[in-house]
Amino acid sequence: MMHRLEINRVSKVFRIGSMKDQGALSKVLSMISGKEHREKIIVLRDISFHVTRGECVGLIGDNGTGKSTLMRILAGIYPQTGGEVKVCGNIVPIIGLGSGFQMRLTMKDNIYLAGSLFNMSRRTIREKFDSIVSFAELDDFIHTKLFQFSEGMRQRLAFSIAIHSHPDILLMDEVFEVGDQRFRKKSSEKIKELVDKGTSVLLVSHELWMIEKHCERSIWLKDGRVYMDGPTSSILSQYRKISA
Amino acid sequence: MELKRIVGTSYSLGIAHFKLRNEGSYFGIIWYLLNPILMFILLLAVFSERLGNDIDNYPLYLLLGIIMFNFFQAITSESTKVIRRDRGMIRSIRFPHESLIGSIVIVALFSHFFETIVMIIFLLIFDLSLFGLLFYPLIILLFSLFSLGVSLILSSIAVYFVDLDNLWSFGMKLLWLATPIFYSIPDSGGLYLMNLINPLYYFITLSRHIIVYHELPPSWILIGTLGFTIISLVMGLIIFKMISKKFAEMV
Repeated sequence: MMHRLEINRVSKVFRIGSMKDQGALSKVLSMISGKEHREKIIVLRDISFHVTRGECVGLIGDNGTGKSTLMRILAGIYPQTGGEVKVCGNIVPIIGLGSGFQMRLTMKDNIYLAGSLFNMSRRTIREKFDSIVSFAELDDFIHTKLFQFSEGMRQRLAFSIAIHSHPDILLMDEVFEVGDQRFRKKSSEKIKELVDKGTSVLLVSHELWMIEKHCERSIWLKDGRVYMDGPTSSILSQYRKISA
Repeated sequence: MELKRIVGTSYSLGIAHFKLRNEGSYFGIIWYLLNPILMFILLLAVFSERLGNDIDNYPLYLLLGIIMFNFFQAITSESTKVIRRDRGMIRSIRFPHESLIGSIVIVALFSHFFETIVMIIFLLIFDLSLFGLLFYPLIILLFSLFSLGVSLILSSIAVYFVDLDNLWSFGMKLLWLATPIFYSIPDSGGLYLMNLINPLYYFITLSRHIIVYHELPPSWILIGTLGFTIISLVMGLIIFKMISKKFAEMV
């Protein structure tokens, strides 16, 4: 079977300095006075798993177990400290919805901007423009500036752009709960449709029912390691037992 | 493929920032021109009888110097702030970070285009041939690549030094005074030797030779221009490549 995502023994260490934002002068001074003390934090250790085509995998774990860091490494936003990540296809991270937006620009300009950040050519964006707008249900606001949108409207737009960018692999970090009930239902159907067509999805959520609903397989991260990897139903039942 | 994506994203970001600056009104373009033109008028009024006395076509000499310096300043000062400004984007989307710098160059090229039109008007007023301007796109291409290189370096070290933008604006003031923009320097002596290591001196002198004086520049000026462009671009790309991987963690 074809692997969309292969993760081999990935680890991540952050070195957190006590003086993060330093000016040039204080940098020079601290060079004279000795090296800044830096704390070493191991966030991920020895993570290995793979995701196949059309698979939807849930990623669960308590706060601070490295779920978001792992997502950022997979997305190529953070470099890993050790191990390797093999990605086959177009990987689209949906982390922090709408961070590519410019509030003072119109929705139309923002679709072109965000689309291009998501690696779509201007031609592709032009072709998909109507579909993006109508999926987000924002047809009446094409020339409205984004700062006049409600939070929900912006999230719907960001979500719509992301899923129109031809993802082979979707990384979703706590972004499933977008919009009202009806829109959530619609977006979860859209995700299902993408998965049926072969898109692989990695879903981070604290809403366990979301994972239960979408993912047949789940991975439980604990203290930066893969604690369990298997069928969602059995993993969730144990996770609930410990969390309860 | 990678380059194509960088150029595409730079272009989209450039358009977005251009629109942001003007917020849809094209009156904004006048503001770009206001600063260099006022500076030009002021310097012309103060210096044309003194420093400019023995310089042929002093107004053109001055204007070309101002708009070229302005171009370099606009790009480099913006680049000291850009990584922090767009940290949200960097931390959540994977895109080639080079395009953040590329977009700054694109926006600056756009406003430089209007400044060049002012230059053309002056050439016409002084009844000088526009022939030299044919070479200007090539000069500006080299100058853009040079500024891009410097900005790639600045933007990446700005991640380590939070106050680099202040330092740089001070550095730019010194450079403004050290470069023969509103005065000329003799072909020998201390000022001359100092300017031999000033890249802006080469670019501006090259353009003045060609556009204002319609003459071939000395070959060492040409070599210097090319040399600085290549060194700056190569170093910029290497340093940026090294540091940009860590941007998402550091800002």
